[in-house]
Amino acid sequence: MSKVLKIKDLKAKIGEKDILKGLNLELEEGKVHAIMGPNGAGKSTLSKAIVGHYDVEITDGDIVYKDKSIKENEPEERALEGLFLSFQNPVEIPGVNNAYFLRTAVNAKRKHEGKEELNAAEFLREMKSKIEELGMKKELINRSLNEGFSGGEKKRNEILQMMMLEPDVIILDEIDSGLDIDALRAVSEGINKMKDGKRSFLVITHYSRILDYIKPDYIHVLKDGQIVHTGGPELVEKLEKEGYESLGSL
Amino acid sequence: MKLDILNALDSKKILKELNASHSKELAASRLVELKLPNKKSEKYRYFDIEPLIQKDWNFTKKEPIQVKTGKSIVIKNGIVEQLSNLEGVEVEMKEFNDIDSQHFDSLYYLSHLLCEKAIIIRVKDETKLNIEHIVTENNCLISYRIVILSDANTHTQIYETYSGDAKDTLLLTGYDIFISRDSTLKFIKNQTINNNSYTPISTNRYKVDSNATFKLGTFDFIKDNGLNIFRVELKESANFDASHLLYANGKVKGGTISEIIHEGKSSNSNQISKNILDNNARGIFDALIRVQNSAKWTKADQNSKSVLLHSGAYMASKPQLEIYIDDLEASHGSTTGQLDEAQLFYLQSRGINKVDAKKMLIIAFANEVISNIDDEYIKNVVHTHFESAYYGKSNLECLETCHSCEDMVLEEN
Repeated sequence: MSKVLKIKDLKAKIGEKDILKGLNLELEEGKVHAIMGPNGAGKSTLSKAIVGHYDVEITDGDIVYKDKSIKENEPEERALEGLFLSFQNPVEIPGVNNAYFLRTAVNAKRKHEGKEELNAAEFLREMKSKIEELGMKKELINRSLNEGFSGGEKKRNEILQMMMLEPDVIILDEIDSGLDIDALRAVSEGINKMKDGKRSFLVITHYSRILDYIKPDYIHVLKDGQIVHTGGPELVEKLEKEGYESLGSL
Repeated sequence: MKLDILNALDSKKILKELNASHSKELAASRLVELKLPNKKSEKYRYFDIEPLIQKDWNFTKKEPIQVKTGKSIVIKNGIVEQLSNLEGVEVEMKEFNDIDSQHFDSLYYLSHLLCEKAIIIRVKDETKLNIEHIVTENNCLISYRIVILSDANTHTQIYETYSGDAKDTLLLTGYDIFISRDSTLKFIKNQTINNNSYTPISTNRYKVDSNATFKLGTFDFIKDNGLNIFRVELKESANFDASHLLYANGKVKGGTISEIIHEGKSSNSNQISKNILDNNARGIFDALIRVQNSAKWTKADQNSKSVLLHSGAYMASKPQLEIYIDDLEASHGSTTGQLDEAQLFYLQSRGINKVDAKKMLIIAFANEVISNIDDEYIKNVVHTHFESAYYGKSNLECLETCHSCEDMVLEEN
């Protein structure tokens, strides 16, 4: 099975603090990888490093995506190549219309792929079906981006963007945080519909709850900036019973 | 004539020097009291006023011409060229002396002294009126004043635009606006000043009567100096809602100097200023709210937000509250900074390049004020002018401001 994303001995810091300390991880094409770990292990830093967040400084190692190093690439270049991060806390942007923003993003990607851009009506029709699938309120698309959205609405909006942008690798950072059962089910269904055997997922989570809905192929345990254990779905049960300490360190 | 010579004269000599009528004695006396501003004058500290006061000006001649009628009022170089034929609007040229005796700005009085006859517009019915200012005469001082009298229970929208590229000219104008009780006036000023152009200084007085509402929007996109000055008096249960958007680019100075005076009880004011400053531009927001002891149960909010797009840009923001009673709600604040990095990253993380992402955020910042315009047509025009000034071209796209197709598409089966 080909590896779409390879993280090689990655060391990264935020400010003066070293967070990732030689992390190795490979994502298989078409598979769901889950990363679990205690607070402060470096889970969110890893997701930020992959998409090129300005907070994270990579001090050593490499991130190879589709056989090319991307660690020097701008965030938009990574996105256009098919990387997508669903944020734990999506920012609110007053004054930027949600539909206008998403159409701009979709057309930027289409242009990058050499496809014709969608006009407003074509875009709206495509978005309409996705909104219905996600059980989103229609009025949310006419509002400012994430402004005044509840936690659940923000997460649904992230999934809407994911569905419209059709990325190749999807990173879900704590997608279950702040969601009630119904919202969790709707969001998970949206994610599961994106599984096509080629698209890869990296699900970052504290708890196993989301993994009842999005079945992982691999579980990786991240502690103190390194992957300390990798296993199959059965690892979830062990972690639930015995905690992260039972796995020791690398 | 150099204006600064007036500072050495008494009121009678000022009237004589300016060939002004004796009925303008109050304006002359106030000018003697206040003196014309210099670079040390508090309210003009951040604006290059001194060269304008010291310059030897030619005054425009206001010869009467054949006046046409049309939908708009057109004023070219201070001369009325077209009168409005709208029903419910009366326009006449007449001496006007019911001036504000308390105004803080000496240029307000100077402009009255220079104005033999004001353009007096009486609004008697619900109407939408356009006023077009055209400034083409170079190297001169053009001064005229407009008076708007809205009758009781009228609802009016006034939209004013500026065009023309006169060089080295000072356009010293202003309004005296009287909004009668139970009336509403929406006033939108849309002004783009190009590089190496004239300098507009608009110095105004607004009087909002009981239960009346005045909604003011000033949209200034400047590449040369320009200033808005106003003093507003609010009577009992009067409402004043002011939105100011300034985009300044280049070695220019501009902004708003204002005083909002709450005189009547239960009066409300809400003033928001948004400033986008590029290169070496200097923005000015010097705004005072005074709540007098007669104005209990007042609500007053004032906020200035500025974005600096260049290390050479500077914002002089001075919101002030002066309160003489306890029983009120009031707030003021000011923030100046750069674009939000987290917002910029979010847009980039969805594949939008940095230049377009910045543009989107700047336009969003401006949109918070532009969206306060109720009239959809004017809203789009102002938006387009802002984009042209900021981005060098008008690039209004579907869904950016117009959402008319959304409901249609989303509701179809």
